[in-house]
Amino acid sequence: MGIVNIGIKTLAAYYLLLIFPLAIMLWFKIPIIGKTLIAVVRMTLQLLFVGFYLQVVFEFNNPWLNVLWLVVMVTVADFSIARGCDLKPGRFVLPLFAALAAGTTIPLLTFVGPLLHRPNLMDAQYVIPIGGMILGNCLRADIIGIKNFYDAIEKSEKIFLHTLSQGARLHEAIRPYLRDACRAALLPTVATMGTIGLVALPGMMTGVILGGADPMTAIKYQIAIMIAIFSGTAITVILAILMTIKSSFTPFGTLDRHAFKGRS
Amino acid sequence: MYLGDPAPGKEKMSTPAIEIQNITVRFQGKCVRQNFSMQVNPGEKVVLDGRSGIGKSTILRCLMGFVAPETGTVRINGQALTPESIWTLRTQMAYVPQEVDLGSGQLRQWIEAPFAFKVNSHNRKNLDRLPKLFDRFLLSADLLDSDVSKLSGGEKQRMAIISAILLDRKIILLDEPTSAMDRFAGKAVLDFLRSIPDSTILAISHDQAVLDLADRIVNVS
Repeated sequence: MGIVNIGIKTLAAYYLLLIFPLAIMLWFKIPIIGKTLIAVVRMTLQLLFVGFYLQVVFEFNNPWLNVLWLVVMVTVADFSIARGCDLKPGRFVLPLFAALAAGTTIPLLTFVGPLLHRPNLMDAQYVIPIGGMILGNCLRADIIGIKNFYDAIEKSEKIFLHTLSQGARLHEAIRPYLRDACRAALLPTVATMGTIGLVALPGMMTGVILGGADPMTAIKYQIAIMIAIFSGTAITVILAILMTIKSSFTPFGTLDRHAFKGRS
Repeated sequence: MYLGDPAPGKEKMSTPAIEIQNITVRFQGKCVRQNFSMQVNPGEKVVLDGRSGIGKSTILRCLMGFVAPETGTVRINGQALTPESIWTLRTQMAYVPQEVDLGSGQLRQWIEAPFAFKVNSHNRKNLDRLPKLFDRFLLSADLLDSDVSKLSGGEKQRMAIISAILLDRKIILLDEPTSAMDRFAGKAVLDFLRSIPDSTILAISHDQAVLDLADRIVNVS
């Protein structure tokens, strides 16, 4: 049983379901109707663009094109993280790119290679969706981890400086903050893993089942993607923080406020 | 008193413990100190006096490398303070800031924490001195099992000074060390500081009792 296609006219009609949320917003005067409509239009256009692009990518299934798409995705995520964490892009683009690339590539290649035994490690059918899922979670984890790390040091600056004054080297002084940042970044995935399947079918499972696979195959994919996501987020968060340190602390070990937007 | 003149009997016999030469310091965009110079010889007790906001605390922060001077030089025991040397120089000084933040958790964990750092690990046995120091500083031994949030301002200040003493540094920097203490606790702290003649102390204070302890008072204006 393969996936059922959705007709364009049918999909267009399905937009009418938005009447419910829009009506609620109008009735209760929730002032986000404009934002909602813009978001719906953006979603449609962005997904259309991605759909057409992926159609081409899947048709060619050229490894270098697929790698290029991954690089584009990582680069967009890179700048999103810098923006989300108020980091000045100039200093952090490269270290964040490296952290994201490592956090995405390692679980992705192990997923497509040793797990699925695909002869072509850059097979678009697997690399694009799986890479995208891992990367999306890495982006979220990085923003939580990096923001948590630097915000905590700034908020408890007196304690941090006191630690330096007691003779701590930088790696010793940042250790508790690193620990807390990693905890904050990884907890959401831990919580998801602990409750997965109890409330609703997760995305990977849903997609695999809709694609015609049986539920047992679907859960194997789901387990594998959760492991890939968790591993990827752990790798990317620790690397992102460690690799941004050089650009965000002065040689004296104090936080360099010039590295951050709106703090210098 | 002219800045930089050593106290009688403590004229320069050896390398100054602290030497500040013509530093200009900015803090949050404002010029706080301009062409400031002073020195403190080994074993001297010097107190910086001056009106609030004039940059006294910034001088101590400068010595710890928390604020880099725009111009001028700072030397600790003859060694110039640079981004490379600061990591070693901090191990020669103990710093007690004006507002002490002990964070959260148990006091015992807080007092033990610095000995987890590589540079202090060999001094871990100094924690055995805690009961005597608590006694001298009029602190109850039960405090060690308390949450740090339960300590009064004066208790926190005394704990910060005890923590600095346990590190066994020859140079002690104190920013308003008795500001939150009652006169009994303040006297206990000052009596202790008098009992360590070999230590070099650079303090900031408006407390007359602290000024009386000093070999020399430097008016920062």
